[in-house]
Amino acid sequence: MSEPILLLASGRRWLRSLALSFLVTICACSSDSAAPPTTLYVLTFNMPHMEAEFSLWAKEFRRLHPGFDVQQIDRKGSNWAAYYHTQVIAGTAPDIIDTQGAIWLQYASQGGLLDLSRYLERDRDFTNQFYPELIESWRYGGKNYGVPLYFTKTLLFYNKQMFKEAGLTQPPRSFAELMSHARKLAGTGRYGFMTLNFDWLYWPLFAMNDIRLVTPDCKRAAFNTPAARMLIEELAAATAEGIISPTSWTGRWVEPNGMFAAGNVGMFNAHSTALLWIMSNAQWVNEGSVGFAQMPGDWSVPNAHALHISASTRYPEQAWDFIKIVTQGSGALAFGKKLNSPTGNRVVNAQLREYFAQTNPMVLDVLGTQFEYLDRMVANWPLARDTEIKHAFYPEIQSAILGNKSAADALASAERKVNHILSRPGGIPEDCG
Amino acid sequence: MLAPALAIFIAYRLAPLFWNMVLSVQHWSMFQAPTFAGLYHYRELFLYDDTLRQSFENTLIYLASSPIAIAIAFALALLLDRPLRARGLYRAIFFISYPVMTVVVAVIWQWLFHEKVGLVNHVLLSTGIVGKPLHFLQDDQLALGAVIVASMWQVIGLYMIILLTGLQSIPATLKQAAASDGAGPWQRFRHITLPLMRPSIFLCVVVAIVNSFAAFDLVYVMTDGGPGHASEMMITYIYDVAFSLGRFDYAAALTIFNFAFFMMLAWFANRMAGGDAGGGDGR
Amino acid sequence: MAGDAALSRRGIAKWLAHLALLPASALMLIPFYWLLKTSLTGENLFVYPPRVWPDDPNLFHFVDVWYAVPFIRYLWNSVLVSALAVVSNVVLNAMAGYALAQGFRGQRGIVLLLLSSMMIPFQVTVVPAYLITRELGLLNSHLGMALPLSSTIVCIFLFKASFSAIPRSLTEAARIDGMSEWRIIREIHLPLSKAAVATNVVLAFVWSWNSFLWPLLVARDQQMQTLPLGLAAFLSVVEDTSGALYAFCVMVLMPGLLVFLMAQRHFIAGLTAGATKG
Repeated sequence: MSEPILLLASGRRWLRSLALSFLVTICACSSDSAAPPTTLYVLTFNMPHMEAEFSLWAKEFRRLHPGFDVQQIDRKGSNWAAYYHTQVIAGTAPDIIDTQGAIWLQYASQGGLLDLSRYLERDRDFTNQFYPELIESWRYGGKNYGVPLYFTKTLLFYNKQMFKEAGLTQPPRSFAELMSHARKLAGTGRYGFMTLNFDWLYWPLFAMNDIRLVTPDCKRAAFNTPAARMLIEELAAATAEGIISPTSWTGRWVEPNGMFAAGNVGMFNAHSTALLWIMSNAQWVNEGSVGFAQMPGDWSVPNAHALHISASTRYPEQAWDFIKIVTQGSGALAFGKKLNSPTGNRVVNAQLREYFAQTNPMVLDVLGTQFEYLDRMVANWPLARDTEIKHAFYPEIQSAILGNKSAADALASAERKVNHILSRPGGIPEDCG
Repeated sequence: MLAPALAIFIAYRLAPLFWNMVLSVQHWSMFQAPTFAGLYHYRELFLYDDTLRQSFENTLIYLASSPIAIAIAFALALLLDRPLRARGLYRAIFFISYPVMTVVVAVIWQWLFHEKVGLVNHVLLSTGIVGKPLHFLQDDQLALGAVIVASMWQVIGLYMIILLTGLQSIPATLKQAAASDGAGPWQRFRHITLPLMRPSIFLCVVVAIVNSFAAFDLVYVMTDGGPGHASEMMITYIYDVAFSLGRFDYAAALTIFNFAFFMMLAWFANRMAGGDAGGGDGR
Repeated sequence: MAGDAALSRRGIAKWLAHLALLPASALMLIPFYWLLKTSLTGENLFVYPPRVWPDDPNLFHFVDVWYAVPFIRYLWNSVLVSALAVVSNVVLNAMAGYALAQGFRGQRGIVLLLLSSMMIPFQVTVVPAYLITRELGLLNSHLGMALPLSSTIVCIFLFKASFSAIPRSLTEAARIDGMSEWRIIREIHLPLSKAAVATNVVLAFVWSWNSFLWPLLVARDQQMQTLPLGLAAFLSVVEDTSGALYAFCVMVLMPGLLVFLMAQRHFIAGLTAGATKG
């Protein structure tokens, strides 16, 4: 045989034996063995860089339950569901999951989450630390399914410098004022208003125009109204004229935040977590340059995180104890400090307030808006098919606002789709609305 | 001999297909036992699903672009089928985009198509072809096109290599004989080259079909199916339904539908390539 | 003279070919250049107009990435998974191609079965594949990540075509000599199918290297993640720092491209060797 072929053949042989030996080693080392201690798995939603805090919690947990351990699996938002669903089907659902927004509703309605009402009742001292509205936020069909992990809802950020230049002194208090402010603030390369659009965060615009998504019994779509048509047409016109940034409707997180950070946007409807991002990307942001207010009508959309226990877990008591470690006392305090964000726990938030007063006074201002008007939260319908409805509703609205469809067509189309989704059996709790 | 490879396929391709077939006639939430559903999902699929219609259209458009890519690759292969200096270099240059991770391809092209700082808009604006920058990835009409361009860039090298191999296996003697018989270059092409290239072209078509599944990564990163569902493909839609919405039962029905469609497509391609595909490619 | 005319015609044809190929090559390479340039200068997403030449190139972002991500670990995982996939691909596909080239009863049916399997996109098989992998006890392991990718139908047919071209007499003679089927494949068929082997190696490598969805589901621990996963996770955290993202892309590409460049000499050589035979 010629040289190169020999080399190729021997190279392959070498590679093969290398591979085989690795195979053996790896199979031996990495098979799923139930070696002590018993490990509980916590699937977090887009929370990387929490290793330090997690090991704190794990240490406390191990102390409380010798023979047990806890491990974090983190998945980025867009991959979270893929991972979770696969685990569920394989029968190895993580014991504790952390969800964002409304995704938990589907799992609760299908019996995937443990009813925590009993634990919340039993450990009253723990439960009373939380804002009652937040505990209610994770209620479905008369049962409680989640413990608040951290809380954020939308507010209006505004660029004080741009306001001054436009001769404006106060943030808007009505939709009409919002639009007229925006008109005054817009200019070349500058936008008057921008909003985030994922997870219904733009809904305050609809709420302040008296538009509801569904009927009070949650059985039919209720948004195909003249008011909605007018709103969409106005938003479309403003977007076309450059008063509202198109990124409001097409961007997700980085782009809109980046634009506000670049100082090109007068008003920005976003949730409080955006502040941190903006601050880290813009030197000019401080109490003097950025203002915080509620959106007109004081409407806001929550986008919070909660911890849940899987119904299939074999260790509910231990899981519950872990949740308590994370959401109260020093565990929660460490979390809030790391995230620069309020938790759902009143006691911890009081301590966080002192901390922020010293380290980051602007966060305090924002914190102020987060726990006002908790009774004016919208877009938090207990609809199990929330994600599907979102997928059906938003693309139509987006299409109309970007000028690719008429508002009437978009609303009719969205109504048809949403009604079809709602007509499928299941997914609407008795106490909806 | 055949057993190990066949085992892999049965385990990782056919068994899943069967699983999907069974699931498509069931109601199943991930947490509870499945119940029989009959043709419920198929009715939903054919009568109510607008997004499916759009995904299907987009997939067709995507597939329809592959003849263009194959034709370009053919032209390149023809150009390279001669003793040129730096031929090896050219070959490497054209093929080098294929081993690039699709995610990276998506990241690169997402950047190139960016409406503010993208190179494509910069070129279009400076040459005056357009007056305002185009929002490629946010535009109803252009988003799919952007994904297709990115995918063409990635795969053209592979087509070219396949076609080049085919071209180089045509005996030079045949061509010379035809030339001395007085046949012009176009006639030589039509009557000798093309027929002998049929197996290679068929292989390219098969690769194109399989590659359309790889478009998943591109769409996922560049547009996420958006805006709305303007760049949604069948494969991304199925994934969405299964993994974002958790509706594995409906996704199974979509999978069977998708599979049936591609089988028909492959059957057509096979007929046009002249029959037994299994034996036809290469020698 | 006729010879001269023919020569100059060929000469012009050559120049025309170069004329067409050069811009085409430039088009192919521009995205790479863009990637490299952004990784060296880290231009913020909002800088306009985009500059063509890198302004003040530096390696800052590469250092950034190196410290932020367990790059070597991810690289190792990717290499191992791809190595497993490539090796098993060559072995399994050659065996299968051999069986098909030899011919047997019911071959038509098997071929149709394999062809139709090609029409099943990977994404729809992940859940059952996950369940099977779990039964095999291969979750969270390199072998588990490599297994679904360990054989490809396209390559089986390439081997079949290549083996079919080998004269039966050779095979018969070897059998009479008492060689086992395995040895026949290894010592007679494979060496004569360098093009098919090279193609197989390249394709198997590319497909396993790029694999994203499967490792996402199978690799639970961070220690087991492969490069595409690392890149995706990176995307989420440092979405805003474009320089670092692009630096990571370059670092992710380098090994793949290097392997390809090393293999492509065999690859192309194999192809041309095959061609001149005909």
